[in-house]
Amino acid sequence: MIKRVEINYRGIFQKTLAKRIGGDIVMIAARMGQVGFSNGRYSDAPERNGIPCKYFAFVSPDLSEEELEAECGAKLDIDEANISVVLDDTMVKGVEPWAWHGVRPINEKVVPYGYMLIVSRRRPEELVRFMARKPYPYYLAILEGDASFAGLWVYRDDLTHERVLGALAALDPQLLSIEAVKGYLWDKTHEEHRVEAAQKAYESVRQNIHEVTPLQGIDWPYEIPKLPKWHEFSEGVVVKAVPREFHLGPKGQSRNQLFKRGTTKSQRPVVRFDLCTKCTLCWLECPDQCFDPTPDGYYDVDYEYCVGCGKCAEVCPVQECIVMVDELAFEDNRSPWEHWKRDPEGYIRWAEEKKGSHRVLPNVVTGTGQRVVEAEPVPVGGKPKPAARAGA
Amino acid sequence: MAVAQPVGVYEREELLTGCQAVAEGIRLANVDVIAAYPIRPYTEVMDAISKIIADGKLVAEYIVADSEHSQFEIVKHAASVGARAFAGSSGTGWMYGFEALVVTATDRLPVLFLVGNRALDDPGAFGVEHNDALAIRDMGWLLCWVATAQEALEHVLLGYRIAEDKQVRMPMALAMDGAFLTHSQHIVRIPSQEAVNRFLPPFDLGERRLHPDNPVSIAPQVNEDWVMEIRRQNWEAARRARRVIATAYEEFNQVFGQRYRPPYYFEEFLTDDAEVVLIGMGTVAMPARTAVRRLREQGHRVGYVNLRWFRPFPTEELRESLRRFRAVGVIDRDFAHGAPDDGGVLLHEVRSCLYPARERPAVVNFITGLGGRDVSIQDAIRMFEITQEAARKDRLDGFVTWVGVRE
Repeated sequence: MIKRVEINYRGIFQKTLAKRIGGDIVMIAARMGQVGFSNGRYSDAPERNGIPCKYFAFVSPDLSEEELEAECGAKLDIDEANISVVLDDTMVKGVEPWAWHGVRPINEKVVPYGYMLIVSRRRPEELVRFMARKPYPYYLAILEGDASFAGLWVYRDDLTHERVLGALAALDPQLLSIEAVKGYLWDKTHEEHRVEAAQKAYESVRQNIHEVTPLQGIDWPYEIPKLPKWHEFSEGVVVKAVPREFHLGPKGQSRNQLFKRGTTKSQRPVVRFDLCTKCTLCWLECPDQCFDPTPDGYYDVDYEYCVGCGKCAEVCPVQECIVMVDELAFEDNRSPWEHWKRDPEGYIRWAEEKKGSHRVLPNVVTGTGQRVVEAEPVPVGGKPKPAARAGA
Repeated sequence: MAVAQPVGVYEREELLTGCQAVAEGIRLANVDVIAAYPIRPYTEVMDAISKIIADGKLVAEYIVADSEHSQFEIVKHAASVGARAFAGSSGTGWMYGFEALVVTATDRLPVLFLVGNRALDDPGAFGVEHNDALAIRDMGWLLCWVATAQEALEHVLLGYRIAEDKQVRMPMALAMDGAFLTHSQHIVRIPSQEAVNRFLPPFDLGERRLHPDNPVSIAPQVNEDWVMEIRRQNWEAARRARRVIATAYEEFNQVFGQRYRPPYYFEEFLTDDAEVVLIGMGTVAMPARTAVRRLREQGHRVGYVNLRWFRPFPTEELRESLRRFRAVGVIDRDFAHGAPDDGGVLLHEVRSCLYPARERPAVVNFITGLGGRDVSIQDAIRMFEITQEAARKDRLDGFVTWVGVRE
């Protein structure tokens, strides 16, 4: 028997976290007399900030190490996962790791009666409504918590690692027993709070497992691109450019249809067009050219291509004009400018409702974690005020 | 593989990638000079070694070069003064230092290199392909593939033992599949320093060592007066290396338990009653072995030969082995465009090695897994089926099939 665990993580920000979880699954399984090994999906590297990536752990109670490696090694991806861990819940909207791959469902690999283990503060139905319908039942387990983000070379020691190990023990005690998890953490660190974190996660996840039936979820809207045959494209490694086009208005710039990168984001910018001073900075500074100039001089956002880097919100000189908001708060990628033009007051109310008053400012590069501040939303009819600058 | 271990030979187990396992081997071999220049997938080795040095577990010169060419020159010169030296690279980086690779071999300096196999650009790809390491096949190098992290660590020790032998003194390229081995984490048994010291003697270049007390000139301009004799010497060393390799494995087994079975240069998997076998190098052994198990469950008499040593090529041993079968399918994770039979590099070596045999198996060829593409268990089963067909029909001899390409 082989147990395959995949760990879906956000590139760079969760790289070290995912690798440690994968490695520790193997070490703990070995304590239980099982064999295992662990690797990453090599095509994910070099990773870009936030892009959906995968790490794997393979464990068997009865095969030899050589047999297990023969079955599972030397492969780019897995065909099926007994447990699919998701370290950031916004990935339930789909994952597009590279060009020509398409936006795939997060639950693509989970087997019948297998587990999705998602780190989230959302209720199950709030996650399932974004996920693809499967022809068979499986379980959704929620490990309550925020996505743990750190930076390149940085490991944010916020106990997510220990909690995920405890949660895995709750889902499949044959894979990892909670005793083995705790014993391993104690022997490795001699720190009681790590053992406790695993135990608490174990207990809470046991109460937070939900069956997902074939009736739940959505018909997956994204097609998987068909890669051309060897004789169907140009010789000499020549690739045709996307024809350059431009007109004013939403989606007015030609963009690469085969790599949209929108699944990279965990937050999206919400724009208060009524506060906008048309300074052009968001459009100028966006590293992915996601802002489309409109005929009336504003800048619409193409959320299919926005990676949620937050640069626009950072450079916007107007308080509350561009604010980053949790991606799971949104249903679709429609044009915010069209929404505003159609129904200016309705749009502002909608935007403020989405924004709430919490402002989550990720500080991912330093690994010091995200900062949460309280904001003073500007009411309908309010005037633009200069943005307060952190540390300025 | 038999694992009967004398007590105290292995001191602990650790979860290591293939690259980290090589770095542990470097520590245990007490290497003196490391020259580094990053390129995936080799880079993780230089990272791991620098950490070992920073942690105080190895005292060595660690030089970050400005390119692969300088990197390779640095270790060549280090070896000439008697230092045990290590470098490595991948793909195009390896090719960029090619001039230095050639002179290291012609100067008969026993440096160990890791080649983390990577596709040669263009187009850009990070995945495994064997053409990078194979490019040195005619230059007077030792060239060997490993298939697991444990083997990787052990072949660092074996590599120095063989390369530094007075009978050999050739540079050694230790090749391992990029990603599938370099970056996969496995539990590896770490030998004790005491056991390693019993196996691996200190490096001694003897009277060839460049030193103020021993003034010598290395590789002067000689032109037609000398070149042919020098090549003849090197040819002899490459031939002697075969015997030294076998001796080294025997010594290794004496210290570490029966880790490796004769003929050492390659490893056979369920071949005793096989009619048809596949032969390949590196991690393609993984899907191939699973395919063997599955086909045997259905009554097919199939087996797999994992070729470890490519240079020197184990001609006689491999001929003796392969001539037993009705058909042999050669797996090439490389290309050799315009070559005889339009097959891969390994195909021609295997067919040439079999030519003197009175009874020859049909030999077919598979080009697969290029640029890091998966070779699936289904792909391996298909390769067996084609090889079985070749066993029935002589006209398929020499036939080349691309497996896993979008047709």
